[in-house]
Amino acid sequence: MQVDFAAKELTVKLVYYGPALSGKTTNLRAIHWLATSDTCGELMTLETQNDRTLFFDMLPITVSSESGLKVRLKLFTVPGQVMHNATRRLVLQAADGVAFVADSQRSEDEANRESFANLKQNLAEIGIDPERIPIIIQFNKRDLEGIRTDEELEAIAARSQATIYKAVATRGYGVVQTLLGLARKTWDNLEKEHGLEEKFGIDPATLMTEVESKLKHDARRRER
Amino acid sequence: MMHDDTNAADLLMGDVVRLEDVLSREAVTTVCKSFFALFGLPVRVISHEGDLLADAHQDRPLCRYVNTLGSGEKACAATVGAVRDLEPNGKAVIHPCFTGAVYRVAPLSYQGRAIGRFIMGPYVPAETKDAPSSLSSVDPALDVKTAFAHFARMPRVRDDIAEKLSTHFQGVLELLVFSGHRAQLASTMQVANVRENYRELTEKNERLKASFDELKELDKLKSSFLATVSHELRTPLTSIIGYTEMLESGTAGALSDGQSEFLRTIRGRADQLLGLISSLLDLGQLEADTLKLNKEAVDARAVLSDVGSTIVPAANRGNIRLEINVAEDTPKLHGDPIRLRQIVLNLAENAVKFTPEGGEVELSAEGGTLDSGGAGGLGAELFSSSQPAVVLTVRDTGRGIPKDKVARIFDAFYQIDGGTAREHGGAGLGLSIVKQLVDGHDGKIEVTSEVDEGTVFVIKLPAVDDDA
Repeated sequence: MQVDFAAKELTVKLVYYGPALSGKTTNLRAIHWLATSDTCGELMTLETQNDRTLFFDMLPITVSSESGLKVRLKLFTVPGQVMHNATRRLVLQAADGVAFVADSQRSEDEANRESFANLKQNLAEIGIDPERIPIIIQFNKRDLEGIRTDEELEAIAARSQATIYKAVATRGYGVVQTLLGLARKTWDNLEKEHGLEEKFGIDPATLMTEVESKLKHDARRRER
Repeated sequence: MMHDDTNAADLLMGDVVRLEDVLSREAVTTVCKSFFALFGLPVRVISHEGDLLADAHQDRPLCRYVNTLGSGEKACAATVGAVRDLEPNGKAVIHPCFTGAVYRVAPLSYQGRAIGRFIMGPYVPAETKDAPSSLSSVDPALDVKTAFAHFARMPRVRDDIAEKLSTHFQGVLELLVFSGHRAQLASTMQVANVRENYRELTEKNERLKASFDELKELDKLKSSFLATVSHELRTPLTSIIGYTEMLESGTAGALSDGQSEFLRTIRGRADQLLGLISSLLDLGQLEADTLKLNKEAVDARAVLSDVGSTIVPAANRGNIRLEINVAEDTPKLHGDPIRLRQIVLNLAENAVKFTPEGGEVELSAEGGTLDSGGAGGLGAELFSSSQPAVVLTVRDTGRGIPKDKVARIFDAFYQIDGGTAREHGGAGLGLSIVKQLVDGHDGKIEVTSEVDEGTVFVIKLPAVDDDA
């Protein structure tokens, strides 16, 4: 978290992590498309020629709280390919919350596992306690064949006490829920550590409503 | 942990982009000039901090004229100052000039933050018909007719067009900022990445080096352990052999045939054990680099015939033909005679051991050259030097060594036939010792072998330097 007192701004860093091709960039693209233009900055992607993230994608979302303080959520993705580990560590630095985007296909189980272990290792290496930073899990690509069933995911959720979201990022399903879930969990954690409500007068519930309302397209989409 | 790479992380979080950091003045100036050339509208770009970054304009006759008058100049400076200090909050602001023209000041923002502004104008809104009274009254010396004539020639822009132009220009600049920021982030990440990878590799290399050093230390320990243990084993064994010999010679009384037979067996086995222990000691000393070589001029013929006479009984038992050939002009070797004998004897014994009945073993010596320096490949010819050498060859018609095993035969304790039911004895130390002794003589040993056809060991050892 970064506080700019002069600009009355508070920036929260959220990182989308996961194995290569699990849909991290697609998540951000969907959010960018769903969010209102005055809320959401340009989506910046630093990608290779073959359209895979080389460094990161960055998407700033700004909401103003009642107290006049601006809260900026900065969304990042990391490159999933194994070779880009140094970049992943750099992007992870000072992260406030992590959304782990897993590929629901059974064939990707091993890749998911490896990536998650890599996330924990990298967090530890940059001095962030993997047990304390908020991490939520999204099982993406729910529309594909050969995926883990809903029952399995529920079992995983019960076992790991992790919050699990289901998504089809290519169609925008579950993307906003994941973001809101991550934002809420992250904010709760920051509130606990820094007492934001007392210091800045930001009511968490109001803030979340504010964030949700900025992602208007999603509401429209649900109405359809 | 992470060190100098906070730059990248900071940059990712703090996106307060200063216009100057991501846009080159040249680029902005080019865009402004092109805009001015296209639409005839003066345009200036000002950073959030108030610095003028680019300026494309041409003084209008009206402005020039007004500036020749005292109060006119003052009023103009005041207007321009006010326009420059104007900070539009999210939306373009129209600032009027006393001449009847206007300035349009539009904000530049990036990711929701103000990063600067640009000023379009002065221009006269197309809707304005007549010059205002503020123009005619600006200075008593003003010639109204001239001033109004200049006013009529000012560029006229419709409000909606001005807004479109302003939006367009704003879009172009913001896009430039976005691209600039992107490039800046990419290059910073690149550098941070390289640094991070370098750090990671350095750490890994250090760990590797530490384990390598540890291994080397262990290896040294092993060698000195070998040397110590074999030395300690030899002492009691020497007593065993001595007393056995005494018993055999009848010093302690007459022996029955059966007792003599047993004592011979004890002697034989004890000698075998002594040989093995001596090998271990040699290896230990060789690996610990403590074996001393007493080098002198050695006649290859003497070495070969000595070895030949030693192995003749074994060869005869196996019905193996033994041949020794020494070329006339074979130079003398420079080496330790005892160790040289050990080298050849070891190979010759192996040859006899592994050659089937009716086979052939040949020991030969001739003059040759020994290359040193280059490891082959490009430049080998250029950087290697050759010196006179003696080439010793031990050739047999034995069972040969499989191709995939050849590379390992010089490893200590390695046995081609590693099974427990080995046909032939030995601890697998002989060839390892041979190799190390040859190395100790600055020589080279090579082996070629065909399964079931035979094996040829070629040893090249430095000849005595005649000039020395």
